Amino acid sequence: MSDVQVITTAGGCHLFSGCGFPAPSYQDFLFEPIFTIGRFQFTKPILLILLSMAIVVVFFALAFWKPKPVPRGLQNLAELGILAVRDQILRPQLGSKGDRYLPFLVSLFFFIWLMNIFELIPPILFPATSKYAVPLALTIIVWVTYISIGIRHQGPIGYFKNMAVPQGAPWWILPLLSPIELLSNIIVRPFTLSIRLFANMLAGHLLLLVFSAATWYLLSPTIGLLFSAVSFIVVLLVTGLEVLITLLQAFIFTTLTAFYISDALESVH
Amino acid sequence: MSAPGAGRDGKYRPPPPREGTGWAIVSYLIGGMALYGGIGWLIGRWTHIAVLFPIGLLLGMGLALAMIIFRFARQ
Repeated sequence: MSDVQVITTAGGCHLFSGCGFPAPSYQDFLFEPIFTIGRFQFTKPILLILLSMAIVVVFFALAFWKPKPVPRGLQNLAELGILAVRDQILRPQLGSKGDRYLPFLVSLFFFIWLMNIFELIPPILFPATSKYAVPLALTIIVWVTYISIGIRHQGPIGYFKNMAVPQGAPWWILPLLSPIELLSNIIVRPFTLSIRLFANMLAGHLLLLVFSAATWYLLSPTIGLLFSAVSFIVVLLVTGLEVLITLLQAFIFTTLTAFYISDALESVH
Repeated sequence: MSAPGAGRDGKYRPPPPREGTGWAIVSYLIGGMALYGGIGWLIGRWTHIAVLFPIGLLLGMGLALAMIIFRFARQ
């Protein structure tokens, strides 16, 4: 269910009308399938993922269909986006030698950002990244990428030696520290990467749900009207905040991907 | 051109930390506690000495702090 559905199912439920506050819950993140193929259920988040993918692919394909030396229109906009990712995310982490990873980072950034920003676009109002499977799948892609880059650039033994031996530690404490380094590099990193994106989008969506449901629930010709107005203002403020957070989370995910790739490229941290 | 890392007045300035540094520290803290806390919990379960779990957690946290100092504070 989206915000709109929550409000309509809350229906005529208002303050003092007897029924309780329709608090958003886990149920609001479960969707009725749009259609099913066998046991596979095609739901709204899947639709949103495909939509984001299609928008990214079509946008960049159109923009660079017949690239001109002096960019105009779409190409101008696309170049602006690509240069922003290059100069703000890729170059600070990887330097100019990392430019070959630019296509990967650009697609990652815009794909995640689109999925996030759907949270705020009516009538969609749902971020696909608040379903844990989505950040998890993205993280697995990133994990496989940086591990294979590390193995290719440093050799399997050299790379795992670098992952297991922390820099600057005296040798006698290594048996105690190496397991932490290994665990942190192989398991904790991808885990925190996915959880960060997922938790932020889940929390943002829940906040919006709570306050938009409260706005409707408190709307009545009583003192509730005042609280309803306050809730509505909070909805507006949180929406503003979410605009920032959708961008920031896409940015952090891509920045950390670049950081992990740079760690895999260089033998010395 | 001045030496890399030198400020406007010629004094050495450490390079600004890279953005991944903060997250690396967090992942060391989580990793250390999870690993040694987990080991302590398992041994405690096996030997029925419950206090091994918090000891493992503290050990893991201490080791993670040591690692952060070795890696980031002594450059």
